[in-house]
Amino acid sequence: MWLDTLLSGQLLFSALVTGSLYAIVAVGLNLVYGTMRLLNVAHGDLVMGGAYLAYWSLTLLGVPPLLSLWMIGLGGALIGLALYRSMFRRLLIASADPGRVEANSLLLFFGISILVQNTIAWFATPTPRAYLYLDDVYKLGDTAMTGNRIASLVTAAATCAGIWLYLRHHVVGLALRAVIDSPLAARIVGVNVEQVHRTSFVLGFASASVAGVLVSMMEQFSPFVGFPFSIAAFIVCILGGLGNIGAGFVAALFLGVIETYGIALTSLNWRSVLLYGVFVATLLAFPQGLFGRRVRS
Amino acid sequence: MNSTAFDALLWTALLVGFAALPIFGGDYLVGIGLAAAMWLALTQSWSVLSSLTGYVSLGHTVFYGLGSYVVVVTWQQTPLAIALLGAGAASAAFALLVGLPVMRVRGPYFVILTFGLAELVKYSVLALEAEMGVSSRLLFGAPDIRVIYGLMVALAVAATALRILVDVLPFGHGLRSLRENEEAAETVGVPVARYKLFAFVLSAIVPGMVGGVMAMRSTFFEPIQAFDPTISVNIILMAVIGGGESARGPLLGVLFLVILSEWLWAKAPQAYMIILGLLLIVFVLKFPRGLAGWLADWQRARR
Amino acid sequence: MTRRRDMIFAAAFAAALFAGSVAQAQSGPIRLGFSMSRTGFLAQAMPDQVNVYELWKEQVNARGGLVVAGGARRPIEFVDYDNQSKPDVSVRIYEKLITDDKVDLLLAPWGTPFHIAVAPILEKYKFPMVGNTAASVAVRQVKAGYIWFPTSAIPDRLGVELVALLKTQNVKTAVLLCNVLPFSKEIKTFLEPELKKAGIEIKLNTEYPPDVKDMTSMLTQVKQANPDAVLALAYPGDSVLYTKQAKELGIAAPFQFVAIGPSGSSYTAAVGKSANNIVTIGHWAPERSEWPGAKAFNDDYVKRFKDQPDYLNSALAWMSLEILEQAVAKVGLDKEKLREYISQTTFDTINGKVKFNGVENAITPTAFLQIQGDSPKLIWPPSIATSTFRPKKDW
Repeated sequence: MWLDTLLSGQLLFSALVTGSLYAIVAVGLNLVYGTMRLLNVAHGDLVMGGAYLAYWSLTLLGVPPLLSLWMIGLGGALIGLALYRSMFRRLLIASADPGRVEANSLLLFFGISILVQNTIAWFATPTPRAYLYLDDVYKLGDTAMTGNRIASLVTAAATCAGIWLYLRHHVVGLALRAVIDSPLAARIVGVNVEQVHRTSFVLGFASASVAGVLVSMMEQFSPFVGFPFSIAAFIVCILGGLGNIGAGFVAALFLGVIETYGIALTSLNWRSVLLYGVFVATLLAFPQGLFGRRVRS
Repeated sequence: MNSTAFDALLWTALLVGFAALPIFGGDYLVGIGLAAAMWLALTQSWSVLSSLTGYVSLGHTVFYGLGSYVVVVTWQQTPLAIALLGAGAASAAFALLVGLPVMRVRGPYFVILTFGLAELVKYSVLALEAEMGVSSRLLFGAPDIRVIYGLMVALAVAATALRILVDVLPFGHGLRSLRENEEAAETVGVPVARYKLFAFVLSAIVPGMVGGVMAMRSTFFEPIQAFDPTISVNIILMAVIGGGESARGPLLGVLFLVILSEWLWAKAPQAYMIILGLLLIVFVLKFPRGLAGWLADWQRARR
Repeated sequence: MTRRRDMIFAAAFAAALFAGSVAQAQSGPIRLGFSMSRTGFLAQAMPDQVNVYELWKEQVNARGGLVVAGGARRPIEFVDYDNQSKPDVSVRIYEKLITDDKVDLLLAPWGTPFHIAVAPILEKYKFPMVGNTAASVAVRQVKAGYIWFPTSAIPDRLGVELVALLKTQNVKTAVLLCNVLPFSKEIKTFLEPELKKAGIEIKLNTEYPPDVKDMTSMLTQVKQANPDAVLALAYPGDSVLYTKQAKELGIAAPFQFVAIGPSGSSYTAAVGKSANNIVTIGHWAPERSEWPGAKAFNDDYVKRFKDQPDYLNSALAWMSLEILEQAVAKVGLDKEKLREYISQTTFDTINGKVKFNGVENAITPTAFLQIQGDSPKLIWPPSIATSTFRPKKDW
């Protein structure tokens, strides 16, 4: 019976839903942290922002999440662009050395984090929010799947695939990978680094907002619970190898597998110890992540 | 006046301030002083590792939490002095145990690794307590706030002294050299691995004892709250705000953030967080090299 | 040039810091102080309580204020600070309220650790405070004197009463799922032996950390065990997770208990009709006609906040305020008189009569609610029930 459980579609479905959510939450951070070494500790709060926008779109405007996510993604992109232009471009130029850039970005994003959390709390009060959307359960053989979880899996996978293809085939996407690899070399061969930075920000913020919409479909949320999402994003990025978007996807699925299969093999008691234990052990064995490249010093 | 004289004046004034506070201030002010002393002790210890070696730890709360746990578990079974020393020793032992493999990881990987390590220890303690059937621990008969305050000031002094000392010793120079270029430092004979480990262990001792002292302040131990990740974040925040290359930085950062937070929180209880967020943003854009950096520029300009 | 400007800025900043002093008028409104988790991860639980405080203040001031020792009414105002979800900050706040702001009365913060942390301060300054949202066997260790806990949801009694309820439903097999956080763990400590004593077979017994994100593997095992009762000792976050994932897997146990969460409206908003027939902890409902003001409180809260009050936390908050108001009306603001009065008197509250024996409430029984239709109903014990248990048939 135990082996049945392990091989069941149920666990597979859960692993995919969890893993794909981790992937879309993390990809935005991988872009921003990976290309510009900006410590976006506000990332989880951006996800919360997306969640609240989806909530308000549904409850106040009657627009369902699968429609509003396009607007919310666009909104996130515009906010990213605005922040880049107003603050971060200046920061990247003004701060002399990369260490200082990283440190200052921590401060800046921390301030943004506080602002986002408290602004949302101001408007919405800290009461936890949730809504019911696509919450019927569909059965495929023995596997039961809630509608909104299917939707989240499909959307997250599609978004990640889209970003992946962009990076592989579009000119700016290729330039982005070049900048992650070596900013100096990229500049030398004529890459417009500023355009790449702008694109990272825009894609990063957009994907975080869309991730928020997906989260809001499946979970309860409140203004001050973004931090765990930031943590998850950092863990995924580092586990895969910073800046390596594809590796981030693999790391995300890996965590989804631990969250389901790892637990099935041990016990739910050990969930967090297992997750962080595997993370620490992996990093000690692979100091630059599973697929890491040399750290830019 | 020159830099060293300025520093001497600064530290003396600070010490006098800390000593005078419980005499002239009520319990509320002593509470603020306690917070300031605590952050100073934590940030100075952290900077022994992270400012000097460039290995930024985002998991320093692990030492704080371990120290808390030691004091709570031995409460009223061992004399307090032994428990506090034990807290420092336990943290140092943990650092010694994991230091070598942990410090082979570098840059942003190290940052998140330390975070993950802190979370791992937190959930392990939680699981351990659950196994033992314990859900939370209460401390009865904790000493008065002024005693706790005195202990914390002593720890702040110790941490600052350590930082200043490491700065001037060849050990400190070695640390700085490996921050610049680890491979080159090794080539010229700096025992890099040993120095890194030593810095890691040194940076763990005082935070362990700080955690032990604060356990007596909150009298309620619960692993999720004791191993609070915002402690790690706040330490880095204060260090970054302070900036600079010496023990001055953490001091300026701590004073600035503690005084600013207290003042905002008392004056504008409803909006203080939003104002704080805005001020942080403005601060970064205005003082990109931190307060110490700005101060150094100012001093240089006056000469 | 810019440096001089910076210096002026710094000097002005420093001056403003020392210039701000609090001038307190001693006559006039009564000032009540408290700390709340307005930011941080506990902020999501706080509105259930602070809304009640606000509602009470509005109603009291609409009446002209609190009656003081049978004499004139004085209006009330709040002095509150954010404790950032940190108990040690909360302690500092209460010290400030007592020594610096010099408030007349204190109201309780949210949550067990915050109550316990503030108890030594109350003892030190001999300042009484009626607690509310704290439930732990640890409260009995707090020295009686300046703090009281009106809740009846103390874990050891919960264990006994829950098993009594299970026995009336002929439950033979159960599954125990427990969050390792303090309150739920405490319940388990007392529930397990009671279950064994009653001969109820525990087919599965798991714990889980509070940050769990997926319960699929555990719930698959639960489904295979096919118990009569699922006892999910969950906190608000994982209570929603349990409900949603139990629905997905179609867990069919007729008795499903979710410890904390279902008493509040955000739970039903999150899970919709899946909440139907879930049993939870709670000792208040608005429908008991012999409880003065219960229905009025409920209606006022709904009107003011467009939301149902939390049947556990909001009710407790209101009870603590009723007790305070009645005490002040009788003996005024003198702290020793208040302490004596609160310790000895039987009070009338929206939850019936309340009398303290030491720190605990000796009258209100340990009870359970079940969500039936769109709101929770009291189903146990029979002495205060407003409805009877219904088995859960669907999601």
